[in-house]
Amino acid sequence: MKNIIRTEWLKVRTYRTFWVMLILAAIIPVISNFFMANLFSNGDLKKATQLMGQPFSFPAVWLSVASISSYTSGLFAILLIILTTNEYTFRTNRQNIIDGWDRRDFVYAKLFWLVALSLIALAITTLTGIIIGLSYGDTSLSFEDYRYVIYYFLQVVVALSIALLIAVLLKRAGIAIVIFFAYSMMLDNILSAILKRYVGQVGGLLPLQAGDQLLPVPLFGKLISEEMYDAYVYVIAILVYISIAVYIVFRKMMKSDL
Amino acid sequence: MSILSLQGISKRYGAVQALSGVSFDVPPGSVFGILGPNGSGKTTLLGIVTDVLKADSGTFQLFGKPAGAQERRSIGTLLETPNFYHYLSGWKNLEISASIKQRGADDIERVLKVCGLYARKDAAFKTYSLGMKQRLALASVLLGDPDVLILDEPTNGLDPSGIAEVRSIIHDLAGSGKTIILASHLLDEVEKVCTHVAILQRGQLLLSGAVSEVIQRNDFVELAAADNQALVALILRFPGCNSAVVSGSSVIATFDSPPDTAAINGWCANNGIWLSQLQLRKKSLEKAFLELTHTSNS
Repeated sequence: MKNIIRTEWLKVRTYRTFWVMLILAAIIPVISNFFMANLFSNGDLKKATQLMGQPFSFPAVWLSVASISSYTSGLFAILLIILTTNEYTFRTNRQNIIDGWDRRDFVYAKLFWLVALSLIALAITTLTGIIIGLSYGDTSLSFEDYRYVIYYFLQVVVALSIALLIAVLLKRAGIAIVIFFAYSMMLDNILSAILKRYVGQVGGLLPLQAGDQLLPVPLFGKLISEEMYDAYVYVIAILVYISIAVYIVFRKMMKSDL
Repeated sequence: MSILSLQGISKRYGAVQALSGVSFDVPPGSVFGILGPNGSGKTTLLGIVTDVLKADSGTFQLFGKPAGAQERRSIGTLLETPNFYHYLSGWKNLEISASIKQRGADDIERVLKVCGLYARKDAAFKTYSLGMKQRLALASVLLGDPDVLILDEPTNGLDPSGIAEVRSIIHDLAGSGKTIILASHLLDEVEKVCTHVAILQRGQLLLSGAVSEVIQRNDFVELAAADNQALVALILRFPGCNSAVVSGSSVIATFDSPPDTAAINGWCANNGIWLSQLQLRKKSLEKAFLELTHTSNS
């Protein structure tokens, strides 16, 4: 594994696109959170905020920050799609195997990025939560309800697993990014809405919707009450989707011609 | 122990049978030419050996063991096209190759110099010309000085001086006792270095083995005189001559046994024809190959 991580590092060390995308993916959730915290802490909206129960004070800040950050996880997905489809574009997926990686090692290399990017997202949102809670909130630091940030982390992992699956199946950056966004911004929501309307709460179990169910938008979520499973059901659903996506990626990589 | 041993490798792409039941062995220290026209299955075969393609049936071993990543690391392989990260320099690309091979990190300077790329080591791969890309691929093959090399069309895209350089590199490697598996459709490319050969045509192995056993290459004589038609008539009466035809400005004659040029010269002079040209030639591998593939066509 050390060799794989070292090799992946050599691939991105001086890759400008990687660093630009990584900085964007890291900064945009931070900016969004500060923007929202600022917006709801000044002027007329400040009163409304108080009605909603101090969303930027501990412990509620964890849900607020996790929910706001979850809208930006597509940025990490783009980065993972680029890192994966690059290998197909440059045919280095073949060369890595020819030079002496096992096909399994190639999947591990991309899973390393999936985990690394998810952990970066987790760290950024945690730090943002702490800073916003301390600077905009009225309470002292508390990790009560930090579970919302963990839900956010799981949602990032499942989103990146889907992104990796799409990248491995489609092999081209442009089309993979388009399909990923079509799915994550529309298809998942629409299917979920249809299922909820005609079947019931099972509609909330779709891959990305499951994470959304766990992260109700704090500013409106309390106003709309809907039938929901217990949180663990959504967590299990997310873990199942991650496993399925990773399994298909492995199967595809182990069996197909490169 | 064979370096590479194949048993009944078959591979189909849709309607095209790319390889059907190919078996042969590559002995250590040999320069093993895999010959065949474009589309005969050479690259598919080497792709299977390096695990980028999956055979439909058949098995193969590298160094007597079922091939794995460990075995691939100790082989320098150039397969079809140079595959590198476009945004990285030649040097940095080789660092990645060395990292995966887990050897050769201290060898990058040497291989870049051998392949004539050292001056451009810091330029991005995407700025390289086709020939330079091929040189970088060769540098990657040489990284860590492997004992076994697989070269698929190694002179692709090179200019004449590049081709000459690559041939001399291959020659030196062969001379130092390394095993080289060389796929090519350019027969003169392998003619001078190959000790063994396997000939593929439309996925079928026509034959394989030591070059001297596999291909009967009868010597022939190229001669000319003032009247080539008369020369043909005369040389056909020479004992052991089985054919003579005018080819351009000379006559090509073949014989049942290795011809004695001095005797031919004397025979012609005694019969009143003075030769302006008389040369003993070996049939080129190319001719032998064309005859072979032609025979199996008909």
